Amino acid sequence: MIKKPTNKKVVLVIEDERPLLQVIEAKLTGAGFDVISARTVDQGLHYMEEVDTIDAVWLDHYLFGDKTGLDFVAKLKSSDSKWKHLPIFVVSNTASKDNLRSYIRLGVSKYSVKADHKLEEMTQDIKDFLDSPQE
Amino acid sequence: MSTSNDKKTIATSASIARKLEVLAQEKETARQKLVVTAKKLAATAKENESIRRKLVETAKQLAVTAKEKEVARRKLVVTAKRLAVTAEEKESTRRKLVVTAKELKRLYGTLEKKVLRRTKDLEHIRSRNEAILTSIGDGLVVVDKEGKISYINKSFEEMLGWKTQEIIGKSMVEVVPREDLHGVEVSFKERILTQVLAGQKFVADLTNPFYYIRKDKSRFPASSIVAPVILNKKIVGAVEVFRDITKEKGIDKAKTEFVSLASHQLRTPLSTVNWYSEMLLTGDVGEISAEQKMYLEEIYKGNQRMVDLVNTLLDVSRIELGTFDGESKPTNIVGLVESVVDEQKLQVAEKKLKISCIFAVNIPLIQVDPKLLRMVIQNLLSNSIKYTPERGRIEVALLLDDKKNVIFKITDTGYGIPKNQYDKIFTKLFRADNVIGKDTEGTGLGLYIAKSIVEQSGGKLWFESEENKGSTFYASLQIGKPKKNGVPANGT
Repeated sequence: MIKKPTNKKVVLVIEDERPLLQVIEAKLTGAGFDVISARTVDQGLHYMEEVDTIDAVWLDHYLFGDKTGLDFVAKLKSSDSKWKHLPIFVVSNTASKDNLRSYIRLGVSKYSVKADHKLEEMTQDIKDFLDSPQE
Repeated sequence: MSTSNDKKTIATSASIARKLEVLAQEKETARQKLVVTAKKLAATAKENESIRRKLVETAKQLAVTAKEKEVARRKLVVTAKRLAVTAEEKESTRRKLVVTAKELKRLYGTLEKKVLRRTKDLEHIRSRNEAILTSIGDGLVVVDKEGKISYINKSFEEMLGWKTQEIIGKSMVEVVPREDLHGVEVSFKERILTQVLAGQKFVADLTNPFYYIRKDKSRFPASSIVAPVILNKKIVGAVEVFRDITKEKGIDKAKTEFVSLASHQLRTPLSTVNWYSEMLLTGDVGEISAEQKMYLEEIYKGNQRMVDLVNTLLDVSRIELGTFDGESKPTNIVGLVESVVDEQKLQVAEKKLKISCIFAVNIPLIQVDPKLLRMVIQNLLSNSIKYTPERGRIEVALLLDDKKNVIFKITDTGYGIPKNQYDKIFTKLFRADNVIGKDTEGTGLGLYIAKSIVEQSGGKLWFESEENKGSTFYASLQIGKPKKNGVPANGT
């Protein structure tokens, strides 16, 4: 079990595009978060098991390997999951109507299109949510 | 002796007397004869005179005749000369005729050869045309004015499973039923063939695919074009060409997948540029100079334009694929218009435009996808701003028409649309001549998208315009439920 190093909020970022992952990390770290990075669904699930202090997930849809963000959300939001109430922010460029509907139905907190939003906006979304969580 | 002498003398005298008497008689006779002769001579002389006169007369007449003869002779000479000339001409003509006859004979021969060759050519063309018709890859059917089949090609036979001899003379509409995409049979009246035969000009339903039912009752997706056959200004039948679009449907699916892929692939590098520029601009990774900031801002803006362009192209693809399915809900259009106007205040201020809004008091909520409606209003307003020169006026209004549709109306004092380009203004990628040089950022997609969205939700979009005076665009929107999965705007 990896210990929570500080009392900062922890965000798990699952994004396979290296330059994007890097800049997200920089932004969130700069905004006062601790960041754990993963590039596949399985890696992300592994960190979920290992780090018990994750406060929020930043998730891309298409990832390395054959699993997508939907598989990750389905696992976390299943009825017997201990992470049922964990906020998940899907940030993807694949804004297909079907994907979006599935994510909303599964209970993600927000779905944003990468190209249409600033890092600042999404960081603020996470901050706002963690400051006053909504059901 | 005396007496005897006497007697002798007497006797002699008597004899002389008698002789004299005889002589006298003879003389008398002779005289009489002479008289007669004289008379005869006189008569002869008279006759002779008469004859002479006659002769003279005849001679005169002969003289005249001789003259006439001379004249006649001369005339004959002239005539003879003329005849000689004519004969020569005749000979020449005859010779010419001989030549012509030969030429004609030769030509006739050539002509005959040509006719033969042409007949062969025609036969060749006819069989080639027949072969072409027969082997056209698309199904082809020709019907008479009653809709009875008069010709089908091989592809028709292969696609529908019918043989020529089985269906010739039968009604096309009855032999080959058509179903819409939901599997509902298209009625006789609604069949395009029926409509074309009834005088409708020309119908293509390439954008409205349907299903044709084969002889064995199986079906395949098809699209067709039907055109009337017109002879002496009368419809004598119709020709339908149709194709199996199973493959195209597959391509459509591939296209959807491509759109999804493109959206992901194109947006990822754009996001990278966006976010890295953002980090530099916000000072997250250290301070930058004012000049560096200016340069970065240009990079950021350029990238933003690219993002917008990709998004617009994706919208167009969705419209064309019919996957632009909005989620309609009761929407406050007044609030929506106000917020769009508010959003673009900066651009309005930059050009020192005067903008006013007039809303009718009783505008109800309308059933529409607010995101899509926002796109329509954004497009129309940004066009007005872009294409109105500085210090111009823009008037935005929401009204209700007598059929209780909500009318969005936007009027500007801009460059207007050239009259000869009215019909192209809603065409994809079209940009009017008079604005190409004034604004370099337009894509020619805004009005196309706006019209498609409005029409898909059962409304109408139109305009009035005068070059260099301005334009007014109207969008009429139904208050009630819009059509579900409306037909794309380019459908027929």
